[in-house]
Amino acid sequence: MGNTFQMRNAECGMRNKNPKSEIQTPNSPKGRRVVVTGLGMVSAIGVGREAFWENCLLGTSGIKPVRRFDVSSYRSKLGGQLPEIDFKIFIKPANLRRMDRIGKIMVSAVKLALDDSGLDLGKEDPHQLGISIGTGLGSSDTVDQFFRALLKEGPVGGQPLLFQTAVPNAITSHCAIEHGIKGVNITFSHKETSTEMAMAYAYHLLKEGRAEVILAGGGDELSEPLYHVYSMLGALSPGKGKGSEGVMPFGRDRNGIVLGEGSGIIVLETLEHAEKRGARIYAEIGGVGLSGSTDGVLRYDLNGDSIARAMSMAAEEPAIVDYISAGANSTPELDRAEASAIRKVFGERTKEIFVSSLKSMIGEFDGSGGVRACGVALSLYHGVIPPTIGTVNLDPSCDLNVILGQSKEKEIRSALLNSCSNGGSNISICFKRFA
Amino acid sequence: MRKRVVVTGMGVVSAVGNSVPEFWNSLVEGKDGAKEITVFDASPYRTRIACEVVGLDLGAHFWKKEARRLSRCDQFGLVAFREAWGTARFDQNPVNKERAGVVLGAGSGGILSVEKYFRDFYQGKGRPSPSLLISYSLATTTDLIAIESGLKGPRTTTATVCSSSSASIGVAYDLIQMGLADAVVTGGSDSLCEVSYSGFSSLKLVDPEGCRPFDKRRQGLIIGEGAGILILEELGHALRRDALIHAEFLGYGICADAYHLTAPEPNGEGVERVIRGALSHAGVSPEEVDTINAHGTATPFNDIAETRGIKRVFGERAKEVPISGIKSMVGHCLGSAGGIEAVATVLTIKNGVIPPTIHYEVPDPHCDLNYTPNRSMKKDVRVAISNSFAFGGNNVCLVFGKYISNAECGVRNAE
Repeated sequence: MGNTFQMRNAECGMRNKNPKSEIQTPNSPKGRRVVVTGLGMVSAIGVGREAFWENCLLGTSGIKPVRRFDVSSYRSKLGGQLPEIDFKIFIKPANLRRMDRIGKIMVSAVKLALDDSGLDLGKEDPHQLGISIGTGLGSSDTVDQFFRALLKEGPVGGQPLLFQTAVPNAITSHCAIEHGIKGVNITFSHKETSTEMAMAYAYHLLKEGRAEVILAGGGDELSEPLYHVYSMLGALSPGKGKGSEGVMPFGRDRNGIVLGEGSGIIVLETLEHAEKRGARIYAEIGGVGLSGSTDGVLRYDLNGDSIARAMSMAAEEPAIVDYISAGANSTPELDRAEASAIRKVFGERTKEIFVSSLKSMIGEFDGSGGVRACGVALSLYHGVIPPTIGTVNLDPSCDLNVILGQSKEKEIRSALLNSCSNGGSNISICFKRFA
Repeated sequence: MRKRVVVTGMGVVSAVGNSVPEFWNSLVEGKDGAKEITVFDASPYRTRIACEVVGLDLGAHFWKKEARRLSRCDQFGLVAFREAWGTARFDQNPVNKERAGVVLGAGSGGILSVEKYFRDFYQGKGRPSPSLLISYSLATTTDLIAIESGLKGPRTTTATVCSSSSASIGVAYDLIQMGLADAVVTGGSDSLCEVSYSGFSSLKLVDPEGCRPFDKRRQGLIIGEGAGILILEELGHALRRDALIHAEFLGYGICADAYHLTAPEPNGEGVERVIRGALSHAGVSPEEVDTINAHGTATPFNDIAETRGIKRVFGERAKEVPISGIKSMVGHCLGSAGGIEAVATVLTIKNGVIPPTIHYEVPDPHCDLNYTPNRSMKKDVRVAISNSFAFGGNNVCLVFGKYISNAECGVRNAE
C-alpha cells in the first residue's frame, strides 16, 4: 500500500499537491500580504533615510562635475556622484577588505536598511531571510581593472582577487556573507529594470510564503568604463544638437541622461512576520506589472503601450493611484512614451495624479530603482511628494501633473514606481498606504 | 492551486552539437567537446583548451550584416531560441505575444565584443566601433530574442553567472505562477572570452588535462560555451494548442551558502538545503528522485561538497541514484550551463537514458557515488533534478518530472 502511494506521488508529481501556495495572479487577494519595513539608501543626496529624505524634499541636486575620473575628453562632464563614505561604519573589517567599491556601496545600503527595520538577525531564521538584488553593470570598474592588467601583463596579470569580485552576483554574495543571509539569493541584471525585477520577484516569493523577509533592491556605480560606454552610445546629455547639459525629466530642453550611482534596499516582509515583531510599516506592496516592447535593442517603448500595460497590471485599483514616481530620465523618447502611457491608463484622471522623477536629483543609473522605491515608501508614509528639479518648462507632449521645484504635501492612497529599460523591459510596482 | 508548467520547446548550441538531436547523441555517446581555443589568442596561457562551439554555420542563420552586429553570445542565443521556438510549433499555433516573456541567465554575455572594443581602445588602435558596446549590458541577448520574435510579455535577465540560467528557469516558472505569462522563453547563452578564461586561470581552477568530474585526478574545470533554451508553458495553454510536451517542470529551490566568495561550504550543507528546498517546492520526496544532473565542475572542492550534500539528502539511497556530470563533455558554460543541463535533464526523462560522466577512471574516496562513469545507461526516469552552484554559494536546484496528463493522474489516484 505504501509503495503504491509512493509511485502515484512520483508519477503525478505535485499536480494534486499544493504545499505552500494558492496564488493565481500577482495581485489576487490570496496569499500573504507583503509590507515594506526598512529602508536603506546610499545616494548622491544622502546616506541613510533621514539625510536622503530631507534632501529629497528640499529638492537638492546630487549632480555635479565628475571628479572620480577624468572626463575632459567627453562632451559630458556631469554625474550624480556619491559623497565620500567611511564604509568602516557599515561593514565588518574582515569582509571590507574583500570588497570593491560597488560591493561596499551595496553592503552599506543593506546595513542601513536592516538597522532601519529594527530586525534582530540573531532572532531570525537565516533560511527564511533572503536577498534579491538588481544591478545593471555591477562591478564594471573591477572588470575594467582586471582587463587592463591582463592587457598590460598578459595571463600573469590576471588577479584572482579582482576576478572573484568582478562577477555580477559578487555584490549579492558580499551582503549574504556579511549578514549570514542563507535563504533566497538572486541577482538580476536587466538595464533600468534590474532592481524593480529584484523587488517584484521578492514580493512574489513572500506572497507565496517561500521566505519571511527579503532584502530587495540594488544599485550601480559610476565608473569610467561605464561613462565611456554611455557616452559612445550617445546616451549622455548633452546629446547631439541643442540644449545645455543637465537632467530635466519631461522638460522641453532635455537632451539625454546624466549618469548617477548609488544603492537602495527595501526590507520586504510578510505582514504576519512584521506584526509579530511590532515593526514600523512604511507601505504595503499592492501589485506588480511586467511587460516588454520590441522597438529595438537600444530603444525604449516608443508608443507607450507596453509601459501602459505594466502600469495597468500593477495598479490593483487605478482609481486610487495618487502619485507616480516616473522612470522618465530626461531622454526625449522615454519621457514622451511614459507620459503617453500614463494618459492611456488614467485618461481623464491624469491631471489629478502627481508625477515626479527622482532621477532629477540622483541621476540615471540602471539600479536606481532601489533608491527610488525608498522614496515612494517615504512619500506614502509621510504624505509628501518630492519634486522634479532641473525641469523648468514642460515638454508640451508631456503634459502631466509634474511636481516642479518644490515638494508637495499630499495624502497618498497608492503610488506607482515605474521603470522602463532601453531594449524594452517595463516594470511597474504599486505601493499602497498600509491600513 | 498552483499552475502546472511544462516544457514544450528546446534548443541547444554546444561544443558537442548545435541542435537538440546532435547534442543528445553526443551526450549518450560520451563525446568530449574540449579542443584548442580559437576565439581569442590563448597561446600565453598554461592551458589552451576549452569546449568551444564549432561547425555553427552562421551564414545559414544570419544575414552577413546581421551576424556582424551580433555578439557571439547573441548568435548562440538566437540560434538555440529559433530551434526551441520552431520545435514548439509556435509558428503554426500563434501565441498571444503580450503573454509570452523572455527570461535568460547571463554569465559574461557579449563581453567578447566589449573586450575587442576596449582592447583596441586601450592599445590606441584606431577607433573601434561603438556598436561593439551594445553588448555591454548582460540583457542584450534577452532583448534581441524578444525583439526578433515580437514577444511583449515580461522580460528580465538573471546574473548569478554559474547558476544564472537555472535561476532564470525558476524565475520564468514564477512569472507563469504570477499569472503574468502563459509561455516564457528561458535558459541562457554565453560565449568564451578572455576575461573569464583568465579569471578562472588566475584562480587556478582550470584543468590542463580535461574536465574530469568526481575523478580523483581532477584539477578543475574546462570552460565551455553555448546556449540552452527551453520554452516553459502553462499546461492548459500547451494543451489548447496541442503542443508536444517534453516533460513537466515541477519546481525549484534557490538559496545561499553565505560562506565564501568562491569556495563552496565544504560539508555540503548549502547543497543539502537547496535540494531539499527544491523537492519541497515541487512536492516530491527524495525517494522519488531517479537521477541527478550534477553541477560537477571538476574543481576539487565543488565535487566533494556536492557529493556530501547529495548524501545528506538521500542518505543510504545516495549510492543508488545515478548522477551525471555532463560538464565532462560540454565544459562549464557559465551563464548557459544551467540551461544546457536543463535541456539534458529533460531529454534524460524523455528518452530514459542517463548521460555519462566521461574521463572517469580513478575513484576518489571523498566522491563515492554512482556518477554513471563513461557509459550512458538506460533507466526509466520519472523525476530528475539538476543542480547549479555559483560563486558566492548561489545555489539553485531544478526539479523536472515525466509529464502525465491530469486524466491519467486522476485515474491512477482513483485506483
